[in-house]
Amino acid sequence: MSNPPWWEIQVTCPADLEDTVFWRLQELGCQGTASMAQGPEWVVVRGYLPQSERPAGLGQLTEELLQDAQASGLAQPQVVAVTLDPEDWAEHWKRHWQAQTIGERLVVLPAWLAPPLGADQVILRLDPGYAFGTGTHPSTQLCLEALEMRLDPHWRKGPLTVADIGCGSGILSLAALLLGVEQVYAVDTDPLAVTATRQNRALNHLDPRHLVVEQGSVERLLTLLPGPLDGFVCNILLDVILDVVPRLRPAVHPKTWGILSGVLTDQVPPLVAGLEKHGWMVAALWQRQGWSCLSIRPNPD
Amino acid sequence: MAKKVTAIIKLALPAGKATPAPPVGPALGQHGVNIMMFCKDYNARTADKVGLIIPVEISVFEDRSFTFVLKTPPASVLIAKAAGLERGSGEPKKKIVGSITKAQLREIAQTKLPDLNTVDIEAAMRTVAGTARNMGISVTD
Repeated sequence: MSNPPWWEIQVTCPADLEDTVFWRLQELGCQGTASMAQGPEWVVVRGYLPQSERPAGLGQLTEELLQDAQASGLAQPQVVAVTLDPEDWAEHWKRHWQAQTIGERLVVLPAWLAPPLGADQVILRLDPGYAFGTGTHPSTQLCLEALEMRLDPHWRKGPLTVADIGCGSGILSLAALLLGVEQVYAVDTDPLAVTATRQNRALNHLDPRHLVVEQGSVERLLTLLPGPLDGFVCNILLDVILDVVPRLRPAVHPKTWGILSGVLTDQVPPLVAGLEKHGWMVAALWQRQGWSCLSIRPNPD
Repeated sequence: MAKKVTAIIKLALPAGKATPAPPVGPALGQHGVNIMMFCKDYNARTADKVGLIIPVEISVFEDRSFTFVLKTPPASVLIAKAAGLERGSGEPKKKIVGSITKAQLREIAQTKLPDLNTVDIEAAMRTVAGTARNMGISVTD
């Protein structure tokens, strides 16, 4: 998965000019900036533009910043534009990402590493690309562990159908299938996540008929389902979960379970209140490093 | 023993919308930080501020773990908001596109004070006024 190339515009300026530089770079079309101190009073501010949008206004930016500095009685900034190696930054952190065992049976293995020989655990191979879900985040780990408990072969009965809402890299969908679920429907509003999940499906040699991946949210999911869900996972953010879960009602039966995460521990009370309002109850709650994961089921009352 | 900090990086990002694309990827990837983990953390902690730019200061440790603290929005964002504008002037030397009052200037300086190189409110006001002037926004009494 390769990145589109980018221009990096570096502005070295007095710290007091940083906000003005931020504003100038935003005006140029940069979406956000990164800055690092250079000594006690100087800072390097970096803005980025896709290489397809050649920074035509660079000369003007330099001139404006010189005038800004002069008007504020500050030293002159320096402006440099360089092309950014399209691969370096995206790949660098992956060098440090190692296989990790999660729960009792699951090993999440970066796609570029060889599977361990003779492993009797469930190997989940993953290249997240630009999508969320590497298995290193506490909320993802909690979801994977909750899935593993929920799908314990000693407890599991009959073929199961599960949905993954906001699938990201597809890590939870893949885990569900590898842990014994027969059919998974995964949706995400981000097309990069849909691509990543499909690629990870192939990476794990899983049949596309058993992991259906489509772009969209609950409405798209409901059009895909042939019947009610046995379970669903949703590891996104508090507001999204509160929006999504009530809309799942048409696909739920009295024993449907849900695994929810992506919520901070101090967000649990409003989440529980919101869920109860819509007829759900919390069956279990796990917490790790400030993050929480909830197992929920419909309230029989 | 405390872990050694290897880099301190500040990112100015749209709240709740961090992605691995620049500026996050290049800034954090080179220090070995798990980019997706940062994005998820940042988005969760800024979800209630969507629509604002919320800078974040990230401390990266030698084992590539990280912590971060959220900062105040850039002065330019606060100034534009106070002036009721979406953007500043393209030609601030020639064209004034809006104004803020001195009271608004003081309020913005007060908001920004924890993140500026000064504890003096008057100095902070001068810095914020400079940013406003560069944006083509005047300060009125």
